Formats: sequence, structure tokens, C-alpha cells
Amino acid sequence: MFSHHVSRHPSSLTIGRRAFPGRAFARSLAVVSLLLGGGWMSARSAETPKPGGSVVIAMDPAGLSILNTELTSLSPALYIADIWADGLMARDGAGKRVPHVATSWTVSDDGKTYTFNLRKGLKWSDGQPFSSADVVFTLTQFAKYNTYLSKIVPLITKVEAPDDATVVIALSQPLAAALDLFDKENFPLMPKHIYEGTDIPTNPANRKPVGLGPFMFESWEQGRSLSFVRNPYYWDQPKPYLDKVLVALIPNAQQLLNALIQGEVDWVQLDFSQIQRAQEAAKNGKIKVIKIEINAPERSSLDFNMRRQPMSDVKVRQALFLATDRNRINADAYRGLAFPATSAIPEQFKELNDPSVNYDKLYPFDPQKAAALLDEAGYKMQDGKRFSVELTYIATSPFDAIAKSLAAQWKEVGVDVRLAGLDSQIWLDKVYRKNDFDISLISLTGRSDPTLGVDRSFICNDAHVPYTNPTGYCNRELDRIAAEAGASPTPQRRALYKQYEEIVARDLNEITLTNAPTYNAVATKFKNLDAQFDIAFNEHPNWAEAWLPEDAR
Amino acid sequence: MIVVVLLVFGMLQLTPGDPVQAMVGQYPVPAEFREAIERHYHLNDPFLSRLWQYFANLAHGDLGFSFQMQRPVLDLILERAPRTLILAASGFLLGIPIGMAVGVLSATSQNRHVDRFWTTTTLVAYAVPGFWLGQLLVIFFAMQLGWFPTQGMAPLVSRASGIGWLLERARYLVLPAVTYAIYEATRVARLMRANVIETLGQGYIVTARAKGLSRAAVIRRHVLRNSSLPVVTIMGYAFGVAMGGAVLIETVFSWPGVGLLLIEAIRARDNQVVVGVVLFVSFAVILMNLMVDLLYCALDPRIRTGT
Repeated sequence: MFSHHVSRHPSSLTIGRRAFPGRAFARSLAVVSLLLGGGWMSARSAETPKPGGSVVIAMDPAGLSILNTELTSLSPALYIADIWADGLMARDGAGKRVPHVATSWTVSDDGKTYTFNLRKGLKWSDGQPFSSADVVFTLTQFAKYNTYLSKIVPLITKVEAPDDATVVIALSQPLAAALDLFDKENFPLMPKHIYEGTDIPTNPANRKPVGLGPFMFESWEQGRSLSFVRNPYYWDQPKPYLDKVLVALIPNAQQLLNALIQGEVDWVQLDFSQIQRAQEAAKNGKIKVIKIEINAPERSSLDFNMRRQPMSDVKVRQALFLATDRNRINADAYRGLAFPATSAIPEQFKELNDPSVNYDKLYPFDPQKAAALLDEAGYKMQDGKRFSVELTYIATSPFDAIAKSLAAQWKEVGVDVRLAGLDSQIWLDKVYRKNDFDISLISLTGRSDPTLGVDRSFICNDAHVPYTNPTGYCNRELDRIAAEAGASPTPQRRALYKQYEEIVARDLNEITLTNAPTYNAVATKFKNLDAQFDIAFNEHPNWAEAWLPEDAR
Repeated sequence: MIVVVLLVFGMLQLTPGDPVQAMVGQYPVPAEFREAIERHYHLNDPFLSRLWQYFANLAHGDLGFSFQMQRPVLDLILERAPRTLILAASGFLLGIPIGMAVGVLSATSQNRHVDRFWTTTTLVAYAVPGFWLGQLLVIFFAMQLGWFPTQGMAPLVSRASGIGWLLERARYLVLPAVTYAIYEATRVARLMRANVIETLGQGYIVTARAKGLSRAAVIRRHVLRNSSLPVVTIMGYAFGVAMGGAVLIETVFSWPGVGLLLIEAIRARDNQVVVGVVLFVSFAVILMNLMVDLLYCALDPRIRTGT
């Protein structure tokens, strides 16, 4: 129904013709998905969903303090938001943008004005009516607190609601990723009647949210679980099918998988150290392991502190890249399930990534060439060693395994690596605030567009902003290219991103090691628990679609 | 208690960490959000000002406010403490009698096979880290045999009531309590063995035997009571500490007690909760030491009569 509606809408076609990158990205993913996933579509249609039953999902709460994802980007909060929150649009399992609270949208020819047509007669989960005023309120009052919207907030010149079912947003200049930023993952809608006139960051509703999602908040037992029940006002009736979604808070990855295997919970996200065990356990037919085929890029990378010797020498950085066998890292840390990244622009962005810039060709694993380059840089081998560096990372999977693999590889060319696996907060302070590090290992999501998830690794960061280029590298030309690419249609973007990739490949303030997929494990008794994913930020089940056959209750 | 607060406050001040960043996750914190949170929870007030305010609140029985959980710290501790008490008490009630029995058996069979067997067994069990032991029990009894749940305190979805409700929860308690009990039993057994051997060499034991008392009667009336005094001291202290939660055991079994509360607070840099839990443990240790002193009077007539 939705795809028909959108395809009929001339403005939607306009977006496609203008080839704005978010749409282009979605289209390329949709093609892949149709090839890969056509089977389950026909299988699904053969069964009729039945209402009732509950699902228990489990996750590590890891610092979870608020549920409002306008204010937090913590992974558990993002997963939980899919249960209770909703937004103007979302992505379906094929990576295609689909209407949610907005039925359709148009973009002006100059790419500066966005008009959203909203569903009429919607209600919040507390029964209060929803209108365009809520969208305007969310954008004008929450955007300044929303870390994802930092790219678009300075560009917004006007937000208005000409009627109860229309919202118009005007920008001072085009932003290629703008529609992605209005996705429900980045821009969940918030009720004006709850937040107006209050101190938004400390409003109690941030822990007891009222939303437009398929389920509504019921309770939060700290340290144990959260409970959500069916939202009777959900816009897409008769969904949701389940009566209840329970979230078990389990702070230990091993216990998460144990609980799934024993049938105590029904859904977990796996880390790479667990996939093999989960696949073994799946042989009993009660659970299945799902590889998310269409995912936001998740790439492990090394940041060099260019304020320090010897990392300040580009020959040293290049030599260390040449001395790195990324296939071995893939085998050691990801069990061969990831792949070596080929350039600064992730492979998922097929229409933006230029394959002519390829790390496999520029920096193939070649210890002899690495040794020669280190000699040339003046770091000769003495007593079996050239120099020592500290490699700092968060002491958890997969970083422990990557760090050990790197240390062993670099030792072969005479580089002594001191491993510093740290608590995440101590690591953050050391790397981003104090810049007191030699080399830092991290895994960052590229999200749905380079502007949103890639630029932060390479742009100048004079203000020491966390999770943004900590290396001291600052190239104003690269910043200019990144800004121009962020505001251009796809054909121009691709050319600009080629320059971007070339500069990064030459300067190497950060080297990208691997690009890894995501794995979930789910109980097989549920239907559609594995079928729907939103990729604007990451991969989450669509809880409105999941259902439990009566004989499995 | 004042020294404890000063020490913990000082250490937390020196520990790197940003509670607002912990709230937001792996993205930059917008300046407006940081300002609002820091202002509301006084996170950026000068150290001495926060310390003074903490003591002022403490004087009124207020352990502060958790910005992460948005509840008073005392409420959080009082909610979690009974769960930890159930776990610790089960572990101690199971572990201490077993440990005492093993200790006495080992000591009265000194240098024989029975003694060697128990000495070696308790040494090995004592050396095994609690979290590893817990994981082994989970793998065998929960994963392989399926007798017990792998984690948690109770099922999230349950239709049980009455005795069924109680038994359902008891199943969740078994593995963490046994892990706890094994550790405490080995500790008590080793201590008890040494004490019993020492007591058996005392003159009054020889006298009692010479008077014709049976070996069992001597052990029951004279050896057990005298050998138990050091065990009471150690166990009293251990129980006080245990009220702070067996952090590793609670983590391994996702048992939502005080120990898990402490871990959650450290991860979120929720310092008022960390200080509150440490204070609570200090209080529990002091209280248990007082109870041990009272128990001493009951066990040792010399203390009761002041001789």
C-alpha cells in the first residue's frame, strides 16, 4: 500500500529524479534486497497474523538512563525507541523509505524546502490528539538537544504548520542527507502537550515516554526489565499483533546468549565472539541466527595521534597500514564474517563510493615494503625493535582481538605495541579530551550517509568534540569538499567524494580496517521478528509486524 | 563514615568520566543538553560545594539523588538490599554449616585420607574465582541439564501463584546461592579445621576425655563452641561486606541486587549512587560487627561475666 502511494506521488518521483543520495542509497539497497529477500515476502503472505502473546527481548542496558532518543544515542535506547516511538518516515526491510506518520512528502526543486503531509486523526499513546503542531514543537524545541540533528539545525530557517496535517521546513541551503535526518530513528516525534513549558532534558516523560509507536510504556523496573503494552491508538491498525514487549536488562553478553538458547528470552543482538556458538545452538531449531544483509556501515578504524612522533610522519602511518593484514584481523576478531574496508567512503554507499580508490591496491599487506618505508622514515631496526607505541581501546569484543592481532603483526616489522584496553569513559577522556594517546582503535557506524557518519573521522576538530577526529589532523580543503558534497546532488557528490577518498588515502590520519555486518539471533516461534529492519541508523526489528502463532504461546 | 565519604568522593573526583556523555552515548553531547543536565543535577558545581551539600543532606538521612535513575539513592538501595540479603543469607545459611562440618571432619581426621581429600578440595574450590565457578554451574546445570534458569531473579512472564510462585523464584535462587555457598563453605572449612586442631590440643579437652566423655560429646560440647568464635568474627564481617552485593556473582547471574546497582552506577558515572552504596556497606559492616560482639557474649561465658 505504501509503496503504491509513494510511487503515485509526483513529489516522490521528483526526489528520485534529482537523485538525492539518501534515496539513491535506498534504491540501491532495495535492488539487493529484492534479489536476496524475495522469498520471505511470498512466504509471509501465506500466513495470517494472529493477535496476542508477548515477546521478551534482551539487551545490555549499559548506562541507560533515559528512553527519549531525541536526547540520547545509546544503543539500548535506540532499540527500545522502536517499540514506543515513531516518526515521519522509516525504512523497510529492503532499505526503502516508507511513510509512517507522514503519508507523503515533497522536496522543492532547489532542495531547500521540505513539505510533509501527515496522517489525520492520529492520537498519542495517552489518547491525546496528534497534529502538525507536535512536529513543529519537536523540531523547534528538541532539535538543539538532538546530537543527530547538529548538521541540519543551523540550516533551518523556517518551520511552520499551515494546517493540522501539513508541516513545511525551509533550509538556507540544500542538505543531501536531510530526509534521513527526518527518519524516525533520528527524529522521533514528541508530544507537545507533555513537554511544553517544561525543562525538556529533565522532564520525567524521558523515562516514561508517550509516543506514536506500536506499543506504549507500562513500567521500568530498574536493573531488571521494561514493559510495553499494545498501543490502542497506533496508526497502523490492526497492528501491533503482540500484546506486550518485555525488555530484559542483562548486563553480560554471555548471559544474553545463554538466556536466548534456553528460551528465557526471544531476541538478542550478537557480538562476533558469540556467532559461532549461536549457530551451533541454532541447530536445535528453536533459535535462528540472522545476518543483516542491508546495514549501516560499522567499521573498525585506527586513529593516529599526529601531534606525536612517530605518528606525525605520514611514511610511518603508511608503513603501519602496509604492515597490517586486514584479512587476518577479519579472521582473528570477526571469524571471517567482516571484510577489509576499501576506502574512506563505505562500500554500502554504492553511488558515492568510488572503487578506483582502493586500500587493497594502495596498501596491500606487504611487511617488506613496510619495513623499507620505516627505514626511509629514519626508524631503523635496532635490537629487533624500531619504536614503541601504545594502542588504546575499549576493553571489550571485538577490540581486544583486533588489538592483539595488530600487536602481533606489527611486531614482525619491529614495532613494539603496548596494549591499553580501558574502561570506555577512561578511554574517551584519554583520546578525545586529553589527546593523550598514540594510536586509538574504535568502531564507528557510517550511518546512512557520509555527512552523518563518516565526516566526523576526518574533519577538523579544534574543539575536541568526542567521537570526532581525535588525531589533530586538520585539512581545510578536505573540510570544504565534505561540506560541498553534503549539499550536492549525487553525481556531483560522487566526484567530490573521490577527491575526499584520495586525500584521506594520502594523509591517513585514520586507517579503516574492516567493515562488519550485524547479526541477531531470534526465537523461531515468532513470525516476522526477523523480517523488518530500519537502516537509517541501524538494524532493528519492526515490532508492529511481529506475531506469535497460537500454538507457540 | 565521614572518612569513607571523603575518601570515596575524592577518588571519584580523580576518576576520569563524564556522566552526561554516558547518558548520550557515542555521539557528541549538544552544548544545550550538557548545560541543562549539569545545571539541574549540580554536576559541575565545585568539588567542595558538592561535598558540603552531600554532608548537609546526609545529616537529614538523604543519600543524594541518582541522575541516571532519577530516584533518591536511599530508595534504590532499599529496593535492592532485600534481594542481596536473600542471596547472601541463602549462601551463608547453606555454606556455613557445610563448611563447619567439613572443617571438623577434616581436623578430627588430621593427616588421614579424609583430611587430605577435604583439604585439597577446599583449597581448589577456594582458589576458583566466584564468577568462573558461577559460569561453570550455569553451563552444566542450566545449559546442559536445563534444571535451572541461566540468569535473573524471576521470570518476566509468569502465571504462577501461591506455592508455585515461590518455587518458581526458588529455582532462580539456587545457582547464585550455591556459588555463594561454595565460596563461603571453603573459607569456613579451612578456618574451622585450623581452629579445631588448635582446640583439640588444649588441656581441658584432655581433661574432658579423661573424665570419660565420649569423643562425640567432647566435640559437640567443647570443641565446636570454642572453635566457632573466630569463624563468627570472620563471617560477621563477611556478611556485612556481602550486603554490598557480591558484585561478580550478581553480574554473572544478572541478579538485580546492590552489587549490580553499583556496577550500573559506575558505568553511568552516577557518583551519588556509588558513594551511597559504599556508605551502605560501611554501615552494614559496622552493624554486623556489633552483632558479632553480642553473639560472642552468647557463645563465650567469659565475655558475658567479664572474666
